[in-house]
Amino acid sequence: MKSKTEQKPAAKNNQASNGPANSGQKNGSGSAPAQTKGKFTQVAPQRKNPHGIPDYRLEVPNFQTVEEWADGKLRYNVKGDFSAPAPSLCESKYLSKEKSIEMYRFMLLNRKMEQALENLFKQQKVIGGVYLGLGQEGCSVGAAFALKKEDWVGPMIRNQGAMLVRGFTPADTMMQYMAKAGAPTKGRDSGSHYGDVHIHNVVAPISHLGDSIPVMAGIAMGARLQGKNIACLTFVGDGGQSTGPSYEGFNFAAVQRLGVILIMEHNLWAYSTPVELQFACKDLADRSIGYGVPGVIVDGTDPNQVYDVTYEAAQRAYKGEGSTLIEAKMMRMRGHAMHDAASYVPKEYFDYWKRRDCNTRMEKYLLDRGWLTEKDNKDLIADVEAQINRDRDIADASPFPQPEDATTGVFLDNSVKIPFKYGPPKVKEVQKGVRVGEASNVSHYK
Amino acid sequence: MAPVTYLEAIRQGIWEEMERDPSVFCIGEDIGVYGGAFKITEGFIHHFGKERVVDTPISEAAIVSAAYGASLTGMRPVAEFQFMDFISSAHTQIVNACAKSNWRWGAPAPMVMRGPSGGGVSGGPFHSQNPEMWYAHTPGLKVICPATATDAKGLIKSAIRDNNPCLFFEHKYLYRRVKEELPEGDYTVEIGKARTHREGKDISIITYAAMVYVAQEAADILAKEGIDLEIIDLRTVAPLDVDAIVNTVKKTNKVIVLHEDVKTGGIAGEIAAIINENCFDDLDGPIVRITALDTPVPFSPPLEKVFLPKVEDVVREARKLKAY
Repeated sequence: MKSKTEQKPAAKNNQASNGPANSGQKNGSGSAPAQTKGKFTQVAPQRKNPHGIPDYRLEVPNFQTVEEWADGKLRYNVKGDFSAPAPSLCESKYLSKEKSIEMYRFMLLNRKMEQALENLFKQQKVIGGVYLGLGQEGCSVGAAFALKKEDWVGPMIRNQGAMLVRGFTPADTMMQYMAKAGAPTKGRDSGSHYGDVHIHNVVAPISHLGDSIPVMAGIAMGARLQGKNIACLTFVGDGGQSTGPSYEGFNFAAVQRLGVILIMEHNLWAYSTPVELQFACKDLADRSIGYGVPGVIVDGTDPNQVYDVTYEAAQRAYKGEGSTLIEAKMMRMRGHAMHDAASYVPKEYFDYWKRRDCNTRMEKYLLDRGWLTEKDNKDLIADVEAQINRDRDIADASPFPQPEDATTGVFLDNSVKIPFKYGPPKVKEVQKGVRVGEASNVSHYK
Repeated sequence: MAPVTYLEAIRQGIWEEMERDPSVFCIGEDIGVYGGAFKITEGFIHHFGKERVVDTPISEAAIVSAAYGASLTGMRPVAEFQFMDFISSAHTQIVNACAKSNWRWGAPAPMVMRGPSGGGVSGGPFHSQNPEMWYAHTPGLKVICPATATDAKGLIKSAIRDNNPCLFFEHKYLYRRVKEELPEGDYTVEIGKARTHREGKDISIITYAAMVYVAQEAADILAKEGIDLEIIDLRTVAPLDVDAIVNTVKKTNKVIVLHEDVKTGGIAGEIAAIINENCFDDLDGPIVRITALDTPVPFSPPLEKVFLPKVEDVVREARKLKAY
């Protein structure tokens, strides 16, 4: 069932209640406003969900996964309408033509890198599994693209795009998957489990889900102690958001008014488990009410929507206004990892979401606006493919680590001086050496 | 200087580090206005401000992770567990995120996780445990268990200055029972170095934390019988001071390992293996383990008394070992 408001163009000033004014607007120089073409809808909440959460999507699909017994076996089937045609992308309030093309390039790079990884996997050059973010590039890239260099990102396994935006190269991820010495973790950990505290400001995730959320809160707290309000973006899946650390972490961020931007990637499948078996509510953004922070719903396959709400959340973070919860609805278009054919996913889902592919729609958006010509696009794709080929050769040529490397670095020598990220902490002046008296003799146990 | 308690020594250590280094801050439950369940941080919030004495929701996983995150920006957080029993609620954060951070992705995590552990106060199964070995088993963590007020202050300072995640197990039984005159000025005690608590020639007792005092009482009794105990206080269970263990075995040739942790998987087994590997030929008798029972920590005093190692256990085992 289509929503009644689906095709209605947004009024230009119909902004989210939690969004900033147009102060950050940087529309491309010389480009005609999209509205004049009558083709694009500016990012603005078209509606609110039953709990009052702004919903930026241009369509609200109405379908669900149901369990069904057939031939003595339990399988998943679907209920609802999968026939709707894909909407176009929204027009971003903030992205210029140049920035839009740059964002599109990262999405291409993300996709083509993962295709290269798939080939490397098939050539048995990858150690272990490969986890693909196919169909989620627009969310990973769009979100990370909205941040400043001094901000932080805590990616999860399908956020390779965010890592590219933060300055890691496709070769970095390839070498990680190939367990090479040149990889950021030098072969110590696999896949997207890498990061950097010095330049890229990316936290290496652990496999345990939700655990990056409180870490991002801590980074924001450390920065605040050093006199700087930053945005700390992290992602959690519809599966991962069920864990205890997800709750503890985001509650802590909310209570401390820390600039954590949590994107819940509602991609419908947690490994093989449908969301219907993960949580009982319809919109994960409803959780924002309980946390006491603003929440929004976006179409995770629309990078412009993701960019704009992340950008607005980051402005809140810089002003010290606290955390934001963004629910990005989309679909995991492959299995959990390469070994998993996702045969448990009803075909209707793939058909529906393939029509909503973020990269294809971004390409069409840029072409339709005249921001890219067919030739520009071809050149851009060729350029990205050349980069991927170069990076694959770099990764292939990197040696395996030396066996003796396994034992180094368990501890960091105390002679190393650990620098402040944002300069010395701004602390209250205290009168040194003036200690309060001995602790009072009140004790839980004597 | 007037003698101060073990608890006061830790207070002083953290306080002085906060005055010395603006990157140090405290984070935990009820540590601010209330000053902590045992009053370690009493008065801190008024002096250092609420930005550096952070009261948190009841969320051990978030406390550890937030401390870890802050350490990634170059801060040196001191996270408090109200009781070390609750450390299990932050287990994955400690053993997976913090412990592996430097090795895995070159991100140092200079942080301290501290709190009261240990029994003898009828705290029951969730307020009396000695969970240090869960973490001594994890590469990348330093695990500190001081017995004296002097060590408690010197070691908490070393832990705060250390570039790695340190777990600091205070013994709640000792908090207000141990009182010492502390060294003057700014001193530290090196992590990973054991201390000879009592010199002796007949039997070595290798122990740590509150059991040092049980060993001491036993030594006083046995001295009257002409049995001369040497007491080695490990001070840290990770890293272990292997040299100190080997040297005392070579000196006395007989060894008892005594700890308040349960027997199975306790550090005594590890120490026995170290002795086997390094100085088996120096032994003149079997390595004896005296530990708590392999049960949860019981609540009722007569039950807890059975659970914990006692002076008479040490006296009995030492007499048997002497006869070898």
